[in-house]
Amino acid sequence: MVAGSWRYVWAYVFVCAVMLYLYVPIAVTVLFSFANSPRLSLPIEGLTLDWYSRALDNPLIVTALRNTALLAAISAVGGCLMGTAFAFGVLKLRQERTRRVLLGLGLLPAVVPLLVIGVALAVFFRTLGSKPGLFNAAVGHVLISLPFVVLTLNARLETFDFSVLEAARDLGATPGRAFLDITLPLIRTSVIGAGLLAAALSLDEFVVTWFNVGTELTAPVLIWGLMRRGVDPSINALATMLLAALLVLILAATMTSRRAPQ
Amino acid sequence: MTAGTAHIGMREYGHDAREAARAAVMLSPAVLFYVIFFGVPMLSLLVLSFWHVEGFDIVADFTGANYQKIASSGLYRDILLRTIGLGLLTAAITVPIAFTLSYLMRFVFPHKAQFILQLVLVSLFSGYLVRIYAWRTILGKQGLLNSALQWLGAIDRPLEYLIYSNFAVIVTLTGLLLPLAVLPIYSSMANISRDHIEIAADLGSRRLHLVRTVLIPMALPGIRTGFAFTFLLAAGDFVTPSLVGGSQSIMIGNVIADQFRGTGANWPLGAALAFVVMAAVMLIVIVITHLIRRVTRW
Repeated sequence: MVAGSWRYVWAYVFVCAVMLYLYVPIAVTVLFSFANSPRLSLPIEGLTLDWYSRALDNPLIVTALRNTALLAAISAVGGCLMGTAFAFGVLKLRQERTRRVLLGLGLLPAVVPLLVIGVALAVFFRTLGSKPGLFNAAVGHVLISLPFVVLTLNARLETFDFSVLEAARDLGATPGRAFLDITLPLIRTSVIGAGLLAAALSLDEFVVTWFNVGTELTAPVLIWGLMRRGVDPSINALATMLLAALLVLILAATMTSRRAPQ
Repeated sequence: MTAGTAHIGMREYGHDAREAARAAVMLSPAVLFYVIFFGVPMLSLLVLSFWHVEGFDIVADFTGANYQKIASSGLYRDILLRTIGLGLLTAAITVPIAFTLSYLMRFVFPHKAQFILQLVLVSLFSGYLVRIYAWRTILGKQGLLNSALQWLGAIDRPLEYLIYSNFAVIVTLTGLLLPLAVLPIYSSMANISRDHIEIAADLGSRRLHLVRTVLIPMALPGIRTGFAFTFLLAAGDFVTPSLVGGSQSIMIGNVIADQFRGTGANWPLGAALAFVVMAAVMLIVIVITHLIRRVTRW
């Protein structure tokens, strides 16, 4: 028993240590965005909002935030529409093998390094003569959010009771009516959750954007530019704002998918 | 009445064909998008890797010159080997941590497992660039870790190797990729029940033996996926080495990125480097999973 409870303590310590490992970087960023000394070291002498006002004074930030919001909206809508339709289409297929192969292909972009996706798209657009910019970046964002939408919706649809749909059709509902009245209300929360996830991925996307956005700015591209120039505490303020937006999106995404009706 | 029966009859006959057509309509937007913006770009990258640069122009021809250059250059070989080494080391550290965490979630804290999983998931999506930059604050010469150790009296002078080093790259990459290893490993452990473990224990299995003969083989699909994820993504990262790495931790990702967005860019060479590193990683993943399977069989 004594040995058993020690083992329990060690297990607890291990889990806490891993969580600290994952969350200390985030905590540090938030903490130093409020610290009043420009040198990023302890002890912290006082708190200030100066870095936020300085970050917001940066004339580039408005453009960066607007572009980031635009890209996030495009990936949420584009990723959701195509990803949901794809997940449904896969389930309608008769053969188990075709389903698995298609699903695997749908997830493929998630396992190719972003660097490779980024440069491949850059090559593609250059061949087409499409100048780097927001459009090219938007395509990249939709591409990397699609696998996650497909994954989320596939997990939801596997427990979806298709007999309800059959029943509606037997009672004379047109496919469109059945979709609007039955399917959509049942999967709406999962679709919204997947959309929020796509928006979060887009908000945080740097690598693919960097190779395709040209001289345009997004929030991560602006942060990258500042980071390369050296230590500037207003980076922490910008980063904290980005983190706050990400946290809201992710928590909303996980909450909507947990509330999904069974 | 007749119209009604005809309608039903048609539905029976045309059902399969119509379902298939409907599936095709639903699949086509995403499939087209993937083909145009993923398949074709990857192929163009592959084709580009066989072209070459003359002066400032890309010349379309078919030569293995880029691949030859990579194979014969000691510099590229060293960077490639270092990239694979750092990637393997990252995966070799990340996967056991993820395995232990998943084990504890599954068998020691089953009631808190969902909560822990949620925390892991949230961290996956919270700030890629931001987290890398934060490690610079933590590991820096006057960073948190050094000032804490000095305050505790554990060291007199700041430890130099904490930042701009391979150590910093591995610590940062492990933190970034850990969630991606936990997800598949934990989900593959969901199939292992407490009974499996208890039966094996009753049959006299000792702890380590149990891990080797029951746990690892049963969780192998997840371990393989987790290992491949972490290795491939670590080997393909360029942001981490350029923000926290030193001159001795330049990775192939940095070289590739420079070929596309640097001065003296050479797109065909960058394309060839990308395929070389992906091929090398995949080959190693295949060899290692084969080895794991052989070792864990008994």
